[in-house]
Amino acid sequence: MRVNPNMVPDVLAGLQQTQSAVNAALQEVSTGKSVTVPSDNPAASANMVQNTIAAKNVDQYTQNVSSVLSMVQTSDSALSSVVSSLTKAITLGVEGANGTTNADGKQAIATEVQGILASVVALANSSFQGSYLFGGTASGQAPYTADSTSASGYKYNGNNGVNSVAVGDNLSVQANIPGSQIFSNASNDVLGSLSSLVAALNSGNSAAIQSATNSISSALSFVSQQRVTYANAETQLNSQETYLQQETVSLTSQENSLVGVDMAKAATALAQAQTANSAALAAASKVLPTTLLNYLSPTQ
Amino acid sequence: MGGLNASLLIASQALQTMQGAIGATSNNIANANTPGYTREVPQFTESPLSQNGNVVIGGGVNLTGLQSVRDQLLSLQIQNQTSLQSSADTQSSILQQVETNFTTTGGDITSALSAFSSSLVRLSANPLSSAVQQGVISSGQNLARAFNTTSNALTSAQAGADTQVTQTVAQINTLTKQIAQLNGQVAQLTAAGKDTGTTQDQRDELVQQLSKLTGLSVMQTSEGETITTGNGTPLVIGNQSFTLQTTTGGDGMQHVLDYGGNDITASIKEGQLGGSIELRDQVIPGFLTQLDSLASEFTTSFNAAQAQGFDSKGNAGQSFFSVPASGAAAGMSVTISDPALVAISSDGSEGSNGNVANLSAALTAPLPSGQSVSQAYAYLVDQVGTAASDAKTQSTAIGQNLLQLNNQQGSVSGVSIDEETTNLIRFQTAYQAAARVVSTIQQLNSVTINMIS
Repeated sequence: MRVNPNMVPDVLAGLQQTQSAVNAALQEVSTGKSVTVPSDNPAASANMVQNTIAAKNVDQYTQNVSSVLSMVQTSDSALSSVVSSLTKAITLGVEGANGTTNADGKQAIATEVQGILASVVALANSSFQGSYLFGGTASGQAPYTADSTSASGYKYNGNNGVNSVAVGDNLSVQANIPGSQIFSNASNDVLGSLSSLVAALNSGNSAAIQSATNSISSALSFVSQQRVTYANAETQLNSQETYLQQETVSLTSQENSLVGVDMAKAATALAQAQTANSAALAAASKVLPTTLLNYLSPTQ
Repeated sequence: MGGLNASLLIASQALQTMQGAIGATSNNIANANTPGYTREVPQFTESPLSQNGNVVIGGGVNLTGLQSVRDQLLSLQIQNQTSLQSSADTQSSILQQVETNFTTTGGDITSALSAFSSSLVRLSANPLSSAVQQGVISSGQNLARAFNTTSNALTSAQAGADTQVTQTVAQINTLTKQIAQLNGQVAQLTAAGKDTGTTQDQRDELVQQLSKLTGLSVMQTSEGETITTGNGTPLVIGNQSFTLQTTTGGDGMQHVLDYGGNDITASIKEGQLGGSIELRDQVIPGFLTQLDSLASEFTTSFNAAQAQGFDSKGNAGQSFFSVPASGAAAGMSVTISDPALVAISSDGSEGSNGNVANLSAALTAPLPSGQSVSQAYAYLVDQVGTAASDAKTQSTAIGQNLLQLNNQQGSVSGVSIDEETTNLIRFQTAYQAAARVVSTIQQLNSVTINMIS
């Protein structure tokens, strides 16, 4: 049978094939990616859309966790100071209710309790990065301002709203407790009971002092209970942080398996492609120039 | 008649024949690398016998002609595969440009969506920060721009394919004209009983080029070759060519008309023309429609979420994005520029982040089409990738077929230098031998003449 005398197309096709294999292998090794355009692997490219979005979100969730954690910790430490202030106020109230304390002494205690009230108000107006911690969702303005018409001498400017911050695709954490719940609750009014104590001390009425001290004492235990909310948030945030770290790892490993390159394999593939290319080139250089004319003497 | 003169005649005929054969061999060698050239084999026949008494003497050799060695069926298959490959190549090269817009490079929709999504997550923790609010607006603008860019890339690829339609039609017309001329020449030469090999070679080569441009159907008729497009629109009949025309259609695209003015755009398949038309009228519009409906549905859903909440001034949220009724992706934009207009609050107070969850949900909740924005976009990426990869794979596969077919054709029609060299030696030897016969007869004749003197 007659064979195709023109080997050039075959040889060229072979050379092109091996050359493109070298190029592909080289690109994988140099970029570290097996998929650079969607046609390299359409399904993996499609999955990468979700992966990219999820990875970026997880980064931001992680930042949210740390910022909410700082906020919750700041709130909690403010409440912890409130608790010590109230404890001190109770001690002072007990001292004031004691029959041995004279009117001047009560006046002095009243001034001290007034100072405690001021410091509790200052704590209630704590802010974190420009946002007030105890104003409900109205966190742009100081929750408590002096107001002579109010029984406690302070009015609440905030609301009863609660912000929940997203820290996961389906998880958000309560980041604040409104001041109306902690400091000026009708049944456990921290500010009200402190100002009643001041008034009672000023008037010198031991029974009133005793009663105000009792209500401070009940407010104290209420505030302590409220701290549980923050403690829970902290626990939740800490465990979410761990989860997000794992999530980052698993998204990265998903990305690697979708579009990444196994370097050992890629390097081997490159070496193989290079060998094949060199072999094809060597074969071409041997085969192409040969015709019968090479063997006939020129004088023939 | 016998005698020395008869032998001299035979020898001189042989010399002429071998000269012709050497000429054919020389031509074969000269055209060994000419595209479309078909090797020619000299046809020798015995001359009529002559009888001298009871002795029958051969009449020598005649060169009756040169025969081109060609296989029409193979040519048809090659044309067919060439049309298919050219269509795949055309689509592959345009789709390769298109698909780069769907890779995660930074300005693409995936990157913009992820940045927009994370800007909302950030807003959840920092509802009061105007820098973070501004971040939401900026990343929203980037998202709109990414939709614009992707849509524009698709549209310009479509325009590129459209330009190719006009150019290809012009090339087709040039080729069919030349083919018709050659058809006429072949008919004339055949009628005059002359060798048509070279003319046929030229025509085959042009038909081969034509098959790159569009799918063909080629038939041999009494008038020569009849060439029609795949669906039967005549291009060449005998020595007459039929030009195709282009005209701008109602869709703003170039439509192809046959010689009678009928619109045959939709029925053109294969070849560069068929590939461009399929890409322009089906593949890319399919992508554009998906992208537009994605942009429009997402915008509606996000604006609805925005309307559920209140901006930093306590007013109900205004529309965040706007899209035109048609060409949604190309015309998508962000309507608000004041960071305070992002509807973050759910209760009207500045500081509430209650509506951020709704805004985020617009990115993750299913759109009316049933998929979330990222799922729908991922589906589009998959389709673009698959289309590009299919075109590439198809081209490679047909390339292998073509290589085989061309090998077969080469084995039939290709010039082998080895074979021609061997023939050259044969014809040279025959020529030398015939020349020896002539000189021998000359010697014999001089012997006879010397006898007289």
